[in-house]
Amino acid sequence: MLSFQRMIARWRAHSNHTPLSPTLINCWHDSPKLKKALWKQFDFLVVDTETSSLHPQDGELLSIGWVVIRQGSIQLNSSRHLMIRPSQSVGDSATIHQLRDCELNEGITEAEMMTQLIDAAQGKILVFHHASLDLRFLNAACQRCLGGPLLLPTLDTLQIEKQRLERRNQPIVQNALRLGSCRARYNLPIYPAHNALVDALATAELLIAQFSHQWTKEDKK
Amino acid sequence: METTAANMLSPELKNVGDFLAECIPFEQLDQKELYQVAAMMEVEYFRSGHVFKSDDDAGGLRILRSGAAELHSSDDRLIDRFGETISFNLMGLGQEQPGIRAVLIEDALIYRLPEDAYQQLRQRHREFDRFFHSQRSRRVRRAARRETNPSELMKSLRDLMSPQILWVLPATSIQATAHAMTERRFSSALVMDQSPELGGKLLGIITDRDIRSRAVARGISFDTRVEHIMSKDPLRIAAEGTLFDATLMMTQSTVHHLPVIDNGQVVGMITSSDLMLARRDDPVFLVQHIRRQSRTEDLKSISSALPDLLVQWVHAGVRAPQIANVLTAISDAITQQLIKLAEAELGPAPVPFCWLGFGSQGRGEQLLGGDQDNALLIADHLSPSDANWFKALAKKVCDGLNDCGYDYCPGDIMATNDQWRLTLTDWKATVNRWMRSPTADAVMRVSIFFDIRAIHGDASLCSELQKHMLQKTRGNSIFLAALAENVLERSPPLGIFRRFVVEHTGEHEDQLNLKKRAVIPIVDIVRIHALAQGIPEVNTLARLQALAQTKTMTIGDSRNLQDALRVIQQTRLEGQVQELKNSLPPSNYLNPEHLPKLVRKQLRDAFSVVVDAQKIVKLHYRPGL
Repeated sequence: MLSFQRMIARWRAHSNHTPLSPTLINCWHDSPKLKKALWKQFDFLVVDTETSSLHPQDGELLSIGWVVIRQGSIQLNSSRHLMIRPSQSVGDSATIHQLRDCELNEGITEAEMMTQLIDAAQGKILVFHHASLDLRFLNAACQRCLGGPLLLPTLDTLQIEKQRLERRNQPIVQNALRLGSCRARYNLPIYPAHNALVDALATAELLIAQFSHQWTKEDKK
Repeated sequence: METTAANMLSPELKNVGDFLAECIPFEQLDQKELYQVAAMMEVEYFRSGHVFKSDDDAGGLRILRSGAAELHSSDDRLIDRFGETISFNLMGLGQEQPGIRAVLIEDALIYRLPEDAYQQLRQRHREFDRFFHSQRSRRVRRAARRETNPSELMKSLRDLMSPQILWVLPATSIQATAHAMTERRFSSALVMDQSPELGGKLLGIITDRDIRSRAVARGISFDTRVEHIMSKDPLRIAAEGTLFDATLMMTQSTVHHLPVIDNGQVVGMITSSDLMLARRDDPVFLVQHIRRQSRTEDLKSISSALPDLLVQWVHAGVRAPQIANVLTAISDAITQQLIKLAEAELGPAPVPFCWLGFGSQGRGEQLLGGDQDNALLIADHLSPSDANWFKALAKKVCDGLNDCGYDYCPGDIMATNDQWRLTLTDWKATVNRWMRSPTADAVMRVSIFFDIRAIHGDASLCSELQKHMLQKTRGNSIFLAALAENVLERSPPLGIFRRFVVEHTGEHEDQLNLKKRAVIPIVDIVRIHALAQGIPEVNTLARLQALAQTKTMTIGDSRNLQDALRVIQQTRLEGQVQELKNSLPPSNYLNPEHLPKLVRKQLRDAFSVVVDAQKIVKLHYRPGL
């Protein structure tokens, strides 16, 4: 599936005479294929973004946070939080993400952010909670900066949770799949008001909890 | 130390740093260092049942961010149980106690500080290092305590030994030695090359028995130098040793005199009679001692020593449940002795009877400063003339108890009250009356009288009455609903955001009443479940164990409440000890601000357990009310 999408992206880039960035192609070559039972042998980059709207057409990326999972444990020293300088005022959306224009103006450009992200994502599997929302913006940004969509192997903790609840025939009530509600099911602590990095860490913790519950054989010594 | 952005925690992860700042001993680090340490953390997640073994562990300091764990020794004893914010280093624990392992009892999110970073931190901070050092030994000691009765045995020899030493030169004659021993009333003398103050070397020891068996019995001349009959190079014991060490050494080697050594120097002597004397504060000894007293005044002088003993026991590490056991055993013994003294005066009882204890005495949960709660249960067919005998008995015993520091009950629940000096039939009728109309008064009575225990006399009368009580309460939903209302009246002093709710005015401003707001709610909650199930135990911990066994309560809920009660009682007890040391009467109040952080946290957790348990009571016994 992923390779087919990549093929289309190459063909489209070729026909539009907008060459794909070699770093992106390199990143594609390196992307691993997850075997869930061996999840501890894989590296993950858990990402969350804050945006000024729900659609890339009328909004933009404001900040991004990520953290690495290596050998089954989250490496806090790998955590990054980047502010992206917006092209227009964030306006009312500041009430949701708590990022104000003055802070964002000190941020980096979208292209600089994308380079750092691709660098961090090398050889890893991307993880989001509700991936489609973040990917909508990241793919658009990647297209602008590197000539094609991200197209990296991705996991979505929301989807994992949804499948788990469906498998158990549990009704999915309103808000049941929000990050906080999912975490509560795994005895994970409540985190205060969010920013992209705290949410990325919260998602990372949720992922290792989900893996531990579903794909780890407990060797009861 | 130069820091770059890379080895500092991102400010966005302030919540990680804030959490660490809540964890002992991380709270001692300054903010900058704390954030550096936080950045080195790895976050792991393990499911309930996961086992960390000390022999194949990746090392590092693990801090529970959420969840709970237990430490088990290699022979599977439970050493410790802990939750959020508590840390453990399995490698270090394993060195102290090989084969120790940590078992998760809840799903847990764990922060792990890698071993090398942990060791570096310990090297840089002495306070930090000391915490883990003492934590380790404390845990190990706690494990040891489960096996023996600690009380006096852990007392230091330095406090017990006699610092006076009788010493002689090797050339002294046997007779001169015997003379010195007789004169100074010593049963032994040390043979030394010079005075111990001058750093004299210990060459041997001579005892009464040596003189008898090696000199007199063999007909050796009394002018013989003492070095010929002394025991050469005698056993000795270090001053840091405990009463336990000395007892062990004496029983193993069958010697009765041990020189005590500090820094290579003889500093004192300890003998088997010192060991006997040292045990006079032992509760077992105390109870026996009470049984030998023939006057109320003597009982009074024993009970007046209780506050001092309590301070000693708590310092020796005796925990709240055992203290309550001991104090109850002592008040039982005093009551029994008062009854025997009264019987000696009034003549034998005309019919069988049972002296009943209620409330904290009934439950075996007495601390200091409790009131009397007692009553008389008399066999049926009591003639009016015989009734006077019991009236006189009640008067003598209750007066005696008041003299011994067990104040008269302000609610007049005492055997001196005609209402509470009844025959078995009348008691049953009283119980029936309460159950028929569960008024506020009846509910209050039940919560006192149904924690019932035979203190003296015919215990079968008591068990028959209790059986009747439980028959009436078991599954009696109307009565239990009324009782539940009473249970829910008092909630633990925990406000929104888990802040302590303290008194705002009066003598106890800014203080909590631990008995009223925490102990009694737990006792009430557990009682209602026990009565609903017809469980005959009255001690709260015993009731909780029985409730878990009968599957009325989950093992988790039962353990949580047991732990909560232990924490609260221990805090209350330590508060009382503090008051006694400041020459104040023991109260049940304390200011949470004066407690160490860890204790505050434990208390808060304990209160939340009580709040949850109250919710269950509401759900069970007052659905829809």
